[in-house]
Amino acid sequence: MIDFRNVSKTYPNGTHALNDVSLHIEKGEFVFIVGASGAGKSTFLKLIMREEIPTSGEIIINGNKLSRLRRRDVPYLRRHMGIVFQDFRLIEKMTVFDNVAFAMRAVGESSATIKKRVPYVLNLVGLKDKMKNKPSELSGGEQQRVSLARALVNNPEIIVADEPTGNVDPELSHEIIELLNEINAMGTTVLVVTHEHELVREFHQRVIAIDHGRVVGDTGSVTEDGYSEPAESADEGFTDDLGDLEIDIDKLDIDQGFAPGSLDGEPESEGETALPQYPDNVERIPD
Amino acid sequence: MKGFGYLVKEGFKNIWSNRIMSIASVCVLVSCLVLTGAAALFSLNVTKLVDEVGDSNETIVYIDSSYTSLEGVYVGKEIEKLPNVTSATFYSKDEAFEQYRETLGDSLFERIEDNPLPDSIIVVMDDLSKYDETVAEIQKIPGVDADTILNRRDFADRLTRVSNLVNLISIAVVSALFVISLFIIANTIRTTMYSRRFEISIMKSVGATNAFVRMPFLVEGMVLGLISAVLASGALALVYEGIGMVVENAQSTFTFIPYLTVLPFVAAAFALFGICVGFAGGFISIRKYLKMEGNEILGW
Repeated sequence: MIDFRNVSKTYPNGTHALNDVSLHIEKGEFVFIVGASGAGKSTFLKLIMREEIPTSGEIIINGNKLSRLRRRDVPYLRRHMGIVFQDFRLIEKMTVFDNVAFAMRAVGESSATIKKRVPYVLNLVGLKDKMKNKPSELSGGEQQRVSLARALVNNPEIIVADEPTGNVDPELSHEIIELLNEINAMGTTVLVVTHEHELVREFHQRVIAIDHGRVVGDTGSVTEDGYSEPAESADEGFTDDLGDLEIDIDKLDIDQGFAPGSLDGEPESEGETALPQYPDNVERIPD
Repeated sequence: MKGFGYLVKEGFKNIWSNRIMSIASVCVLVSCLVLTGAAALFSLNVTKLVDEVGDSNETIVYIDSSYTSLEGVYVGKEIEKLPNVTSATFYSKDEAFEQYRETLGDSLFERIEDNPLPDSIIVVMDDLSKYDETVAEIQKIPGVDADTILNRRDFADRLTRVSNLVNLISIAVVSALFVISLFIIANTIRTTMYSRRFEISIMKSVGATNAFVRMPFLVEGMVLGLISAVLASGALALVYEGIGMVVENAQSTFTFIPYLTVLPFVAAAFALFGICVGFAGGFISIRKYLKMEGNEILGW
């Protein structure tokens, strides 16, 4: 689904944002991208959305080599992705309904389709009752769910969430990630960029750590039995760059260690969605 | 294109939400169009006048006042024998006097006892390129008042020169105004676009095509152009009729082209001009935004 092959990105001002990054994300995976600010996460997302093009290397999304993608085909690439922003990016003067409908209008959907689809998606994120509200009348968590509904409404194959919990009260952060988890369970590939390790630990999913423009850790894809074989770069990265990391890679390592056991208790979310059960793995970690 | 109705509606919304700038740009555009239209109509009228004068291809030759009318008729016959002269019609001073009286009214002539007009001969030439030679031949004929050959072609030439000059100035003025209009419209749309940059960035992130993002702004520009065209057609009517009235009162031999006959052309030209300027203005101002990605659009 998403393939990075030796991708490097150097900005015109000389910043080496990404350095020889190779990774592979399968269709249907849920991946956390973690890293301190300035580690290269934003560049990573920009490259996926093709807001930037790599200086070298190749990115392949859905079998499309992005370097071969013509400018005018970029919008069609983006229709396969739903983007969730840290700051929600909701249009203040529009209602919740219109905010979500906006994404459908932007790709030229008919009003009839919009009228059917928007309530459905808002129901999915639990905001059917707030359809006529303005974003300012909602809590941060609710606003982020509107943003999520907007990302979902065009039925993308990939959801890319950039610090989705960054502007949300901590107690509501779970909800957001849980919602993403449910979306993932329906078959959508989900990428979450975050630096909130609590969250990462709670949801046992693949974690890719980026630091100084390199992938310094990758737990590999998660199967029902826990993590599958870690990606090769993981160990190397962990030992080499451990000292420089601002993020707590140690804890990631611990996560990886306890993962197989603790995952047994976590149900494959099937859609009995109403009240997500938060696995309280945090407490179980022998710190 | 899918969602066309929505995009057009968005275009109108843009105009309304940015109405001060929209009104300003319509005003500027209307002034530009009226000036342009006035220049074009002036040149049309001059062309008409030149045609009337030039096409008649008549040269008036006055007979020396010491000749009697009968002698004058013979002078005419002499002129008619010259090569390149198609016809030479004798036009007596009495006829001329009557003619003037008819056009200018009796009252002016009440006190004039003596007819001051000379007899004349209206000469029509075959080939106007030999005009000068022919006139020289005519001047040699006795009885012709050689100094007062009314050179109508000279007049036509002068008119044509004036008309060309006016055309040239018009073109310069129109081009300058075109650039100004373009600038104003582009700026107006840029203001709208700036206030909607947030929406543009979202549209781009969810995969709206450039054509789609551009559309409301093009509609905005074209509608502004069209509104200006309608207003300018009306305004020009007032200006034109006003000038026409003054000129026709001053001298009655020439009638202006009536506005109604040119209105369809003026309106069509204005509409075309307005729409093109609006389209181009919208196109220019959104180009910059379409090249940007993500947060660049928001200026972050």
